[in-house]
Amino acid sequence: MTTPSLGLMQNGKASRQILFHIFEVFMVLIALLYMFPLYYLVLNTLKPYGEMLKNPLSLPQTLFFDNYSAAFGQMHFFTAFFNSLLITFCSVLVIVILGAMAAYPVARFNNKITKAVMVYFLIGFMIPVQTIVVQVFIIMQKLNLINSHSGLILLYAAGSSFAFFMYQSFIKTVPYELEESAMIDGCSPFKTFWMIVFPLVKPVTVTLVIFESMWIWNDFILAYLFLSSRDKFTLILELYQCVGEFRLDWAIMFSIMVIVLLPMVIFYLFMQKHIMAGLTSGAIKG
Amino acid sequence: MANGKNRFYGYIWFMLPALLLYTIFVIVPLILSFGYSFTNWDGYAPTFKMVGLRNYLSVFHDTKVLQTLRNTFIFGFYTPIIVTLFAIPLSLLLNSRMRTRNFQRAVFFFASVPSVLIVGYIWQFIFDSTSAGILNSILVKFGSKPVMWLSDDKWAMISVIIANSWRLIGWHACIYLANLQSIPLDYYEAASIDGANAFQQFKKITFPMLAPAMTISLLLIIIDSLKIYALPFALTGGGPGDATRFMTQLIIDIGIKERLIGKSSALSVLFFIILFVISTVQLIYSKRREERLQ
Repeated sequence: MTTPSLGLMQNGKASRQILFHIFEVFMVLIALLYMFPLYYLVLNTLKPYGEMLKNPLSLPQTLFFDNYSAAFGQMHFFTAFFNSLLITFCSVLVIVILGAMAAYPVARFNNKITKAVMVYFLIGFMIPVQTIVVQVFIIMQKLNLINSHSGLILLYAAGSSFAFFMYQSFIKTVPYELEESAMIDGCSPFKTFWMIVFPLVKPVTVTLVIFESMWIWNDFILAYLFLSSRDKFTLILELYQCVGEFRLDWAIMFSIMVIVLLPMVIFYLFMQKHIMAGLTSGAIKG
Repeated sequence: MANGKNRFYGYIWFMLPALLLYTIFVIVPLILSFGYSFTNWDGYAPTFKMVGLRNYLSVFHDTKVLQTLRNTFIFGFYTPIIVTLFAIPLSLLLNSRMRTRNFQRAVFFFASVPSVLIVGYIWQFIFDSTSAGILNSILVKFGSKPVMWLSDDKWAMISVIIANSWRLIGWHACIYLANLQSIPLDYYEAASIDGANAFQQFKKITFPMLAPAMTISLLLIIIDSLKIYALPFALTGGGPGDATRFMTQLIIDIGIKERLIGKSSALSVLFFIILFVISTVQLIYSKRREERLQ
């Protein structure tokens, strides 16, 4: 392209800018439109059920909060919330500790045993729990872990293959000299690991904590199969229970769902940057 | 890198807790499933018999199992296609220089955040076969007839596919996005100097260089689709009839509700083999494609 006339260049730039801005508005609209299921969820909680049936698409005639009071009245919200919190916290804690510890020798040593351990854990990667739930159920029964929080926590923690592999590949990138000097100074392997190595693998820990927390908090299948008394239910199970009770009234059912969604939405808003970052690093590492 | 066999033995116990849990709750059940699949145990009787391959062979005569297998394969086939078809263009759109791009990304990704159960219930309302359902409301408003989304075999499957795709497109777009951001811009500059238009650039540069993301995305989504449970559970309950019953639901129903441990274990083993074969084939093919295109 030879030197264009000043006037043409300016015009071209201006119209491209305008198109760009229009497109941006368009993209934002598309994004908001994509959320229409959630929009309808919240919208219809503010209508009485009759109105919801007649006009599922329109704005509520008046703000109707009775659905929420009915929902809250029926739900054992705080019990379920604390159950979810307890189970998620403990499970993630165990996953991180066990996964990191198991990964350490495998990352630092290269012998027949470590290779065997890697292959062993790799099998677990290929076995989704869905294929073996029935047999897990049998084992949990034998161990008397049905309908117990500790049982469920142990079960979630057993899925630490993923954590193992993430820690294993990351620890390899930590320079060994630090551990070397620590051990020359007389530190035990245990101390060396927790004082020196573990703080350095924080990126993996952060990613793991976020994703495992989200997954465990939202989990339905395992909680459903292994918790049977209401006072032990997680928030998701409480949702399932109450939805069953209110099967005839969508508006109240939706209110329950909004209430249950709230903690996860808040968590997402706070962690969103880390979630995006975790995805990026995870995807590249493959 | 550490070495010295003697020193290693001081570290073995690091691995023991994880290995123990993993063995008890993953490996032992797997072995049990193989074992029980050759029996006729019903979960209650104190003894059971070995019945050889009977449980496996009965699969061929059991219409419910065959239907479920068929459903699982259909779902596991169409979902990856649809999600990938939308996720790649979306990732291109999200890879812009707009100021609101982080907001856009966060919004599309958010579809993966709510519990699958909630997503299933919401879409049940959207797909409701009466005119109270949102989609049918819209259809009726435009003068069309309402669709029996959840009460017709074919449409029920389509509904589950749509709901699941909605949930996953944003997330997988982010996977492709991460890959996109690592493609060197020089390639595009060189291509436009050579006169390639946008579509050609996509075909010759972008798409091949997205191979790593595609490997991961496809692997994740194929496995995820094949083992799906909570979404159809909430959306259709497996119905109408068995039209949206998938393997996981069947295995659980037979094993825990009907207590036919032998039969359920055989299905578990079959399911595991199917998953293993499909993911291995997909992985090998994708990795080869990656290497070819790099």
